[in-house]
Amino acid sequence: MKKTAFLFLLLLLSTACSQGPDRAVVFAVGGAPAELDFWENLADEFTRTSGIPVRILRQPSDTDQQRQSLVIALKARMKDPDVFLMDIAWIGLFSAADWLMPLEADMDTVPFFAQVIDTVDRFNGRLIALPVYMDAGVLYYRKDLVKAPPDTWQTLIASARKVQEAQRKTQPDFYGFVWTGAQYEGLITVFMEFAGTSGGFVEENEGIRLNCPANIRALRMMRELIQPLAVSPANTFTQMKEEEVRMAFQQGHILYERNWPYAWALHEADDSPVRGKTGVAQVPAPETGRSVSTLGGFHVGVSRYTNVKAEAMAFVQFITSYDNQKRMVMELGWNPGRQDLYDDPSILAKAPHFNALKSVFQHARPRPLKPYYSQISAVAQTHINRVLAGHAAPEEALAKADLEIQGILSRYQVDP
Amino acid sequence: MKEEMIQKALLVCGVTLTILFCLGPFFYMVLTAFGRHPDFLLPGKAYTPTLDNFRVVIFSESIPFMTYLKNSILISAISAVVSVGLVSPAAYAIARLPLPGKAAFLFGALGISMFPEISLISYLFKLMSAMNLVNTYMALILPYIAWTMPLSLWILVSYFSQVPRDLDRAAQIDGASRLQILFKIILPLAAPGVYATGLLAFIFAFNEFLFALMLTIDHSARTIPVGIALFEGFHGQIPWGQIMAGASVASLPVVALTLVFQRRIVQGLTRGAVKG
Amino acid sequence: MTQPQPNMDENRPHHINPFQESWTALLFMLPLLAFLLILIVIPVVGTVLDSLMRDVAFLPKKWIGLTNFQVLLKDAAFWQSTRFTLSFVVVSVPLEVFLGLLIALVLNESFSGRGILRAVVLIPWAIPAAVSGRVFELIYHYSYGAANYLLKITGLSHEPMNWLGTGMGAFIGVVLADAWKTTPFAALILLAGLSAINEDLYKQARVDRAHFFQRMWYITLPLLKPVIVVTLLFRTVMALRVFDVIYVLTGGGPGGATTPLSLFAFRYFSAADFGYGAAASVLLFVIALVFSVLYVKAGRFEEELE
Repeated sequence: MKKTAFLFLLLLLSTACSQGPDRAVVFAVGGAPAELDFWENLADEFTRTSGIPVRILRQPSDTDQQRQSLVIALKARMKDPDVFLMDIAWIGLFSAADWLMPLEADMDTVPFFAQVIDTVDRFNGRLIALPVYMDAGVLYYRKDLVKAPPDTWQTLIASARKVQEAQRKTQPDFYGFVWTGAQYEGLITVFMEFAGTSGGFVEENEGIRLNCPANIRALRMMRELIQPLAVSPANTFTQMKEEEVRMAFQQGHILYERNWPYAWALHEADDSPVRGKTGVAQVPAPETGRSVSTLGGFHVGVSRYTNVKAEAMAFVQFITSYDNQKRMVMELGWNPGRQDLYDDPSILAKAPHFNALKSVFQHARPRPLKPYYSQISAVAQTHINRVLAGHAAPEEALAKADLEIQGILSRYQVDP
Repeated sequence: MKEEMIQKALLVCGVTLTILFCLGPFFYMVLTAFGRHPDFLLPGKAYTPTLDNFRVVIFSESIPFMTYLKNSILISAISAVVSVGLVSPAAYAIARLPLPGKAAFLFGALGISMFPEISLISYLFKLMSAMNLVNTYMALILPYIAWTMPLSLWILVSYFSQVPRDLDRAAQIDGASRLQILFKIILPLAAPGVYATGLLAFIFAFNEFLFALMLTIDHSARTIPVGIALFEGFHGQIPWGQIMAGASVASLPVVALTLVFQRRIVQGLTRGAVKG
Repeated sequence: MTQPQPNMDENRPHHINPFQESWTALLFMLPLLAFLLILIVIPVVGTVLDSLMRDVAFLPKKWIGLTNFQVLLKDAAFWQSTRFTLSFVVVSVPLEVFLGLLIALVLNESFSGRGILRAVVLIPWAIPAAVSGRVFELIYHYSYGAANYLLKITGLSHEPMNWLGTGMGAFIGVVLADAWKTTPFAALILLAGLSAINEDLYKQARVDRAHFFQRMWYITLPLLKPVIVVTLLFRTVMALRVFDVIYVLTGGGPGGATTPLSLFAFRYFSAADFGYGAAASVLLFVIALVFSVLYVKAGRFEEELE
């Protein structure tokens, strides 16, 4: 009896002793198994060439859960993870919370998209992140059903109606246009593209508002697509997220799809029914203002509390190098943060539309970089989705949203 | 006669419905875990048994599932043993020794056990963070010990009170200290209660979710309920077969314990919980 | 259980010093007191204090008094969450107690295999809530889940029901999933109450030619009432703090329709706004405290009956 008690106490003490902080560079990254394999290989090569050990900290693929994990680690000032990937939407929070170690002054930013670096990756003048991969909304279309992609939303709607009516004779479940209308962040990215440069989040004098004519027009159009035009399916605002939209288009009964560049490789896969029939284009323009894609993607940052700063910086440089970003393109089909890769001949041979993407990314528009953006987005999502469901008119929804946004802003005003 | 038949029919009905209700979802989970295709209920789809889901969940390197299981078992076992160990003297004191305000204290402890976890997790997180314990076993063991103490206290006080006082007195006359009485007389005689308490504490700690979600970030200390909750496939494809296999593995320890010790558990629960 | 006996001085052996006894008692209580104080009481107090501050990761921390609460009470999402939490409690608790009573009645009868059935009844209680959440997530799957399958083969519905995609569907889904998990516990408590009822009362009633439902109505339910009240209150306090099942099953959706207060607060912790989340959790704490006090009072009342 005494012996077991003693052994038990030993066990207890052994678990109680927390291990010392890892001297390896701990890299937190989430995603599909194929993606995680890519990062593991990259990490192994880094260790081989530099002698610095790297440990991959696997995160769930859900971005909210990834953020939650990082928030806990950073709020607790933990030494690990040292390096992590951040959704572009979190950079505002992470930089304002002083959780990001400024990247070394000699980190060469020229090869990257200048506009992105200056608007997203700098905080108080210091560089705090680098783009690893870029995302921006694009329009996929069936090039066997229409000759050229539409350049305005009005043209798209007219074309979608016409083709849908014709196709319904042989395909009763054919829809003209699918897009991500469910109540989540994807809805905001799409909304901003429907509204164009005159709409979206209007940022003026430290304030943010949504109520403006371009947004009202956009919401009205989005609702009409579902009802009464029925060019978009009825579950657009309840279930349509990226994968639902992609799979619908891939099954061959959709004319236009608004999604992210990742879908291209899947549409062109060997077993895809729409292989060879898919075209990619810029998102159409609204009535007033120009067309603009919403900027997405993941950036790499270093934790303020890292215990291996020099090694972490070396790792960041490694994964954002020309060769390794090129590997990312070739193996995962992702769009790199380095602008200079978009002219690479071997990449263009594999994906000719790649060069067109460069211009899309150069002009893409990020969401507001406020640290409390996630809360503003939640308000916007709620009210926009209500309009899509037919439960509210655009004007009143946006007015209500603005009121709530005002509340959020007043709580988070920085002290003078 | 007719009434007896009706009653019998009602009983059979009742037993069947109870079994369906309690085991239905559990059975569905296990079926899906052993099936190749989770959509086997659709017309035209056959059910193909396979062990692949379990193979992936147990042996795959990308899912540290067995590590989560190990964490859960160790953390729960340590919490349960320490909790019972520290509550026993207190329960003895309440059952036998002079103390003011015992009843008030018991009910106070009861009240404490009803605090919503969310109402203390943020400060608990700060505490653990300040002590550099986040993402370690201790971050969970310490709160679990505290959290299981009120119920343990009630159950043990109940069992200890049933041990005849004469035994205490006799031992005291022989010169035994209170501590010796506790260890040599009370605990052995109240052993069923002690086991029941330990079991309940283990089950509680094993199943706990919120603290584990907020106080751990990776396989160093993450427990299996969090592992199951966050288990997903990639983009859009949810591997239900694997998730259910994981769920089955996760449920195995607690279901096994419950089935084996169900009598003790029920006794403990009703002793502690009818009152509490 | 009997009330703890007061220490009968006249029985204590004479060589034992009563003062020393009290000292020992305190020592014995110390670990328990320390744990409860440091890991439960202090965190709650700390959270209350935090709710009075602006505690946001990207702003300097400062004292703002009741501002968090003022904003909270004007927050539409907060009210939606409160409405859901209360509706959830009002619907699921009576449901669990009712189902628990039915199961308890079955378990109270003597038949072979009763022990096995009791073990079976415990299984939903034993499974982690997060695990049962995922099982129900599959059950409610739109295309091939068991729920829609059952609806189809029993002819209850021609079309599959969008359980997790609509407000009402998600509400029902969450209530059922939680009831599955918590009914066993209610059943056990009610069973204990049932078995405490004197058999002779039933025998006498049978002699008086009272049939089954009359016996239920005139004997069982009145005698069970204190236990039912206690069970209802206990389950209410537990239901108020529901988190695990809902987090996994619906994540609070669709559109915040099934976000209990605990999840509402949690979201703010995840967004690094600890003050606001603390305020929400304090309000939940107050509501739960009211019911806990009622529960404890009802528990004491029940004791006096014995």
